[in-house]
Amino acid sequence: MMTSIRRFLSKSNLCPQTRMERREALVGLLFISPWIVGFLLLKLVPIFVSLGFSFTDFYMLYPGDTKFVGRENYAHILEDLFSEDGAAGYYLSNTIGFAILSVPAQLLTALGLAVLLNSQRLAAKELHRTLVFLPSVIPGAAIAFVWFGFLDPTTGWLNRLFLEPLGLPPYPGPYSEAGYNLFRIITALWSIGPGFLIMLGAMRGVPPELYEAAHVAGAGPIMRLLKVTVPIISPAVFFSLVINLVSVFGGATLLDRGTSFSGGGQSPFDFYIGEVMFSSYRLGYAASLAWMMFLIMLATTIALFATARYWVYYPDGDEA
Amino acid sequence: MADSPQHHRAHKKARLGLQLWDGLGTALVNLLVVFLVIVYLFPISYMVFTAFKMDSQFSDIKAPIWPARIVTYTYTGEDYPLYEVPTAGSIKKWALVERHRTESTFVNPANPETGPITWEGSWRTLDPVYEFYPAFENFAYLWATINYPRLVWNTVKVTMLSGIGVMISSILVAYGFSRFRIPGGNLLFILLIATVLIPEKITLIPTYYMFTRILNWNGTYYPLIVPHLFGNAILIFLLRQNFKSIPREMEEAAMIDGAGPLRILTSVILPQSGPVITTAALLHFFYAWNELRQASLYLGISPDLYTLAFRVQQYQSYFAPPNMLQVSALFAMAIPVLVLFLTQREFMHEVLITGLEK
Repeated sequence: MMTSIRRFLSKSNLCPQTRMERREALVGLLFISPWIVGFLLLKLVPIFVSLGFSFTDFYMLYPGDTKFVGRENYAHILEDLFSEDGAAGYYLSNTIGFAILSVPAQLLTALGLAVLLNSQRLAAKELHRTLVFLPSVIPGAAIAFVWFGFLDPTTGWLNRLFLEPLGLPPYPGPYSEAGYNLFRIITALWSIGPGFLIMLGAMRGVPPELYEAAHVAGAGPIMRLLKVTVPIISPAVFFSLVINLVSVFGGATLLDRGTSFSGGGQSPFDFYIGEVMFSSYRLGYAASLAWMMFLIMLATTIALFATARYWVYYPDGDEA
Repeated sequence: MADSPQHHRAHKKARLGLQLWDGLGTALVNLLVVFLVIVYLFPISYMVFTAFKMDSQFSDIKAPIWPARIVTYTYTGEDYPLYEVPTAGSIKKWALVERHRTESTFVNPANPETGPITWEGSWRTLDPVYEFYPAFENFAYLWATINYPRLVWNTVKVTMLSGIGVMISSILVAYGFSRFRIPGGNLLFILLIATVLIPEKITLIPTYYMFTRILNWNGTYYPLIVPHLFGNAILIFLLRQNFKSIPREMEEAAMIDGAGPLRILTSVILPQSGPVITTAALLHFFYAWNELRQASLYLGISPDLYTLAFRVQQYQSYFAPPNMLQVSALFAMAIPVLVLFLTQREFMHEVLITGLEK
């Protein structure tokens, strides 16, 4: 990553020399200016204003009484995280648990479906791809209704059609804690559409000679998948991993289906920040929680990029 | 030549075996995929079945899993439900006229002239006779209560206005990034991609404060539209990758003819970028149509402006019966799903080719 940044820096001419170059730079800047203005107004300034808020006791109902409280909010976060009845600790550990379960599940499902739907033997590929992508365009509220209904212990279908006839213990329904966690993972699996398409797109770029060579060398379908497909599409896997992990921590999803601030597809910790913000109106404390989450996410992303060199394959020896 | 008749036969046999094996593999792959897709989308069948059920079916534990109602028989001007009554010899479908604990009175619809028949036993142990009945009235009812056309129109307005804004600015920015040597341009582009990673919550408080207290945009569509006028990082990325792949010869020819940068964009670049522009617009459409967070933040105080996704989400808190919840879910997803199927060829293909990869 560092080398690529350095290379980018050396490639980009920071000091235009001739009049022509200056003119080109000016016109280019003019074209990208909408994004620059938006970045400053909607991202950079708010991020630092949030940082400022996180050192105050900003309360939405009495904004006039706001005063500087130093690192009190951050001291409170530590208490909230590690004390016995701290809500933040509960929601953060839940979020991490959710990430550990849902992110690999999402990646493996997307990868498995992409492998199957890339098979040359498959008929009606386009229809199958559209059907797998379908849940990713359904609005979040509808997703919640469908799955809550389907999993409902009395009127739903999971117990009635599947678990009971198979003699399995009934599912307690999405309203219990364990049941809700399962619900979250299932709905996470219903948003793999973009990741699935990215992996499928990468698979179509695998040179067929490699498969032939592996075939000649006696590799079966599973070996070909593990030794040819997965290494070559590893950039797509890496990209999906980053996006899935970031979305667990409240960052962007590739195709946002609009989950509400109150529950739904967001992470428990994100939900907790929303509660502090909109139910108790403690904006100062909410800002410090958001900053803490931002830092956790940043650290996770940087750590992921640091591991990338060991397992992500770049054909021209480039790094992430 | 080793092409002796025996050898030839053995070879043919082996090839036949291979073909069989191959056909079996193909059949297995297809079966597996069809099975997995059915499992993956199975809850949608629950949604459709439930949406067509009548309210009464949810309190009836004997009711079948498909939308159904109890068959009734009109006898002396009144409707009576049909039950499967075991009698000596066979099970008869009789209408229950009078209910008692140990014996009940039935009428045989096939032969009503014989009059009431008394049957010994508890009628509660009997199974009703069901017939398939899709309750279209659920849809009519919800259509009328939530004012569906108006919600759709509101959503179309927001989606169109923000869509036009985001497309124009994203195209301009992507063009700027793909064709001009800007000092630090590559660094800016890395920054642009990195903005995707910024969590929404961290910018939320200041922007919320700015929109509601300073600009007084609470209860208007501005917060749902204005931020899109500055472009969208993912769409810019997608468009820029595509613009970069367009050969420059035509632009150079146009430049010699005296065309300016804007003219080159509209007459050279855009005509060659139809598919990627469609895809970017579709990505924005799917996002904006389902958008819920901004809508719930800023539209709450003005019910006239509710978007479809926001209105349907509110249904959750009304303790609506399961069938109405599923009807509302169907209403909410109908249009995006329709658009996906209508555009699947272009959309899926383009996302696959361009790849959203970094």
